[in-house]
Amino acid sequence: MTDKHMHLIDPPQAEIEKSRRRVMAWFASAAPLIQWAATESPLGTIYLARNAAGLCKLNFGVTETAFIEHLDPAARTEYNEEALAPVIAQLQEYFAGKRRRFDVPVDFSQMTPFQQNVLQTTVTIPAGKVLTYGQMARTIGKPRASRAVGQALGSNPVPIIVPCHRVIGSDGSMTGYSGGGGVASKKWLLRLEGALQTD
Amino acid sequence: MTLPRFETLIEAHHDEIYRYLWQMLRGTGLDAQDFVQEAFMRAYQAYPRLRQDSNCRAWLYKIATNCAYTALKRGQREVELDDTLAADGLPLPDETAAQNLVLEAARQIITTLPAKQRAAVVMRHVQGFEYHEIAQALDCSEESARAHVSLAVRRLRRELEAQERLS
Repeated sequence: MTDKHMHLIDPPQAEIEKSRRRVMAWFASAAPLIQWAATESPLGTIYLARNAAGLCKLNFGVTETAFIEHLDPAARTEYNEEALAPVIAQLQEYFAGKRRRFDVPVDFSQMTPFQQNVLQTTVTIPAGKVLTYGQMARTIGKPRASRAVGQALGSNPVPIIVPCHRVIGSDGSMTGYSGGGGVASKKWLLRLEGALQTD
Repeated sequence: MTLPRFETLIEAHHDEIYRYLWQMLRGTGLDAQDFVQEAFMRAYQAYPRLRQDSNCRAWLYKIATNCAYTALKRGQREVELDDTLAADGLPLPDETAAQNLVLEAARQIITTLPAKQRAAVVMRHVQGFEYHEIAQALDCSEESARAHVSLAVRRLRRELEAQERLS
C-alpha cells in the first residue's frame, strides 16, 4: 500500500460541491449577519460595520483584513455600502464641519454594564467640549473609578460616533485613543470640533 | 492570536472534511453530506467556547470524527455492509487494472477496520495529516495515533497479501 494508492480514493467532485452549497445555505440561515463598508476621510479609510441591533464596529488606520478579522467570528459578513449609507453620510457631514452629533443606533450588547454606562455617558458630551477621566467618573457616580473609565473608553467599539476623544487627562494631557492613529487622531478630532486650538 | 471567522473555516476546510467523512462512512449506506452538515453545526455551537490559540483544523476533525463514530455505531445497528459500494469510485483512466484491483480491495478492507483505526489511517494516508494532528483530532497521544495507523496499515497489508495469494 502506498500514499499514491490512497490518494486515488476520492468522492465525486459534484458531491463535494453539493455538500459545500448545503453547508453554506445552512450557515446563511443560522449565523447573524454583519454588513460592513468603507469610506474615505481626512483620517484615512474608515471601516464600519452594523448588525441587526446597530453599528457594532468602526475603525480607521487598519487594513480591511484586520478590520474584518475583528468582527464577531461567528457572524456572516457582507460588504454592503447601502446598509451603512446613513452612517457614512453623517460621518461625511461631520468631517465637513456640518454635523456636531451623530444619530446612529449603536450595539453595546457585547460590553459590560459599566462599559455601557461610560460609553453612553460619553455620547452626551457635546462637540467642542471635553471632560477629564475624573469628571467622567464622578458623572457616572463612581468618583474613584477614573482609571476604569479610561479602560472602558479604550474598549469603545465605535470611536468618533461615541466620542471618546472628548475625554482627556486632568492636566489636559492626551494619554491614549482607541481609534486608529492614536493620540494624533484624537488631537485632530478635537481641533476639528474647536475644543483644541494648538498642539 | 484570534480565531478565524467561522465562514472562512467552512471555505477552507469543508472539502477535506467531506472527503474524510465520506471515507469514514463508506460501506454504511449513510450519506456523508448529512454528517458534514452535522459536524459544522456542532462546531458552530461550540465555536464561542473554543480557545483562541486552538488548532481549528484538528478541532474540526475531532468533531467530524465524533459524528462519524455516532454514525458508525448507528450503522452497525441499522445497516448491513453494502458490498456494492466498492464500485462507486470514479473511473481512474491513468491507472492500470492491477492497481485498481488493489485499490478496490484496500477500500473494502478500510470499511471493516475499527472506527479509530479507520479514522487514523484515513487522516494519515488520505488527508495527509501529521501524527500530532491525528492525536489532536482523536483526542489521544501521538504514540497512540501512530499505533492506530500502524495497526490499520499492517492489517491492510496482511489482508491485501492474503487476497493476492488467493488470486
